[in-house]
Amino acid sequence: MREATQEPILVVSDIRKSFGALRAVDGVSLELRRGEILGVAGPNGSGKSTLFNAITRVPFSADSGVVLLEGRPIHDMPPHRIAREGLARTFQRESVFPSLSAIDNVLTAIEHSSRRGAFDRNVALAEHALDLAGFPATLHNWRAGDLPIFLRKLVMIGAAMALDPKVLLLDEPASSLTPEEIDRIRLLILKLRGHGVSILLIEHVLPLLSGVSDRLMVMDQGQVIALGEPEAVIRDPRVVEAYLGTAA
Amino acid sequence: MSLDTLLVVASGGLVLGAIYALMASGLAVVWTTLGIFNFAHGAFIALGAYLGWQLSHAEASGLGLLAGALGAVAAMFVIGVCFHYALVRPFERKANIVAASVITTLAGAAIIENGISLVWGPRSKQMPRLAEGDVALGPVVLSASDLVLLVTVAAILAGLGWFLGATRTGRSMRAVAQNREAAELMGLDVPRLYAVSFGLSAAMAGLAGLFVGSIRFMTPTMGADPLMKALIVVILGGVARFTSPIYAALIVGMVEAYSSYFLGLYWTPAVLFALMIAVLVLKPSGLFTSHQRTL
Repeated sequence: MREATQEPILVVSDIRKSFGALRAVDGVSLELRRGEILGVAGPNGSGKSTLFNAITRVPFSADSGVVLLEGRPIHDMPPHRIAREGLARTFQRESVFPSLSAIDNVLTAIEHSSRRGAFDRNVALAEHALDLAGFPATLHNWRAGDLPIFLRKLVMIGAAMALDPKVLLLDEPASSLTPEEIDRIRLLILKLRGHGVSILLIEHVLPLLSGVSDRLMVMDQGQVIALGEPEAVIRDPRVVEAYLGTAA
Repeated sequence: MSLDTLLVVASGGLVLGAIYALMASGLAVVWTTLGIFNFAHGAFIALGAYLGWQLSHAEASGLGLLAGALGAVAAMFVIGVCFHYALVRPFERKANIVAASVITTLAGAAIIENGISLVWGPRSKQMPRLAEGDVALGPVVLSASDLVLLVTVAAILAGLGWFLGATRTGRSMRAVAQNREAAELMGLDVPRLYAVSFGLSAAMAGLAGLFVGSIRFMTPTMGADPLMKALIVVILGGVARFTSPIYAALIVGMVEAYSSYFLGLYWTPAVLFALMIAVLVLKPSGLFTSHQRTL
């Protein structure tokens, strides 16, 4: 479907993470295909963000499991190496460096990537990344902490794209946004995929999720309960039960 | 009471403020990036002074003041990095890192101070003055040594500001200070940046120690009083910007100089602590800050 091919770029096998007696992620496996947008849905506390944490090892690692990026194991690399290997991520809350300007936020990412070069070239790459995210060029020198939430999210996405990632993990990019802003995020996600990035997308805004995802995966209580075409998955009785509490 | 007297007291306060600014900025670099308070900062001050004495003094290696100072500062950077790997890094991901680091840095301070006693003995030493003679600046007559100190500290703090604002490593340190997780996701090598922060902090403490050693006698516990003053400075000014402790240090230096002159030396700590308590009650995040823990 669309531009996705069958070849997986990210393979996650049997990831497990417990907090005491709570099995937050209980044996999750998935394959993200090259050029694909794989949506991840599930009720609050179903383990979606924990799965992202375990894959990126920020802020914690999985208890067990294997993560392969283009066939290479990355689950035992330190987090900054995982980022440099081409796995970028945004956070649910707007994780930017508040006292740095928007451009310095992105520049920081560039200066630690394999694309690092002379200062002027780094700045040009940072400007390009912000342009790609659709961030207004007139606000490059604003302190990131002073920006409205939508623009802070764009800075975060710009910084992630500055790493020139192969795989991008987006954690609720549309949370706390207005409908118009959500639509811009939707177009942005499709544009990023057009740049050759494969995307794992956690989202609570279901129309956005089913609108952009090639496949949809639903988690509940740390496990994958459904995976497939978005339309079919949304009608799956187990998914309905997970969201509404009882089978409809 | 003449204007001259007030100016002389003010110049003394300026010198104290400069030394406190150097110490407090070093303390703040670790406090903001790692989120821990380094109780060994006072011991770093003493060790820097003794290393400087060892390298520069005619009774020891006799390399001269400049070479001795450079050598001591470089050595303190390395010692700070090692200190971090040995005493802070192992506890970094623990939930009780703040409490653990209080214990380990206090232990490190005890080891350093007793190590100084073992190596150099308990007899007090003194660094030579930084320069001889007096310099008249309008109505104020400063000793050349004080002037060298003031100019050096101003240059170092300006350099620190440039480093944090305009260099790749400095920007990265600010980024890590503000959001460790996002920094890791952007490919920043956080453990290495933490080590650099500790080294930088120790190097600044070592230089401050050299200055303290040139105006007071050196003993293995000479860092305790400056550490307390640096703590007051950090609380007073906050650490929202790297300039906040600098302003606060000048205030503390001036208050100390004037209260020593008018109220007597023994009242100075009481005045400073009263000031600190007042700030903690009225504006707990510091005088020059609206946010906490950024750089």
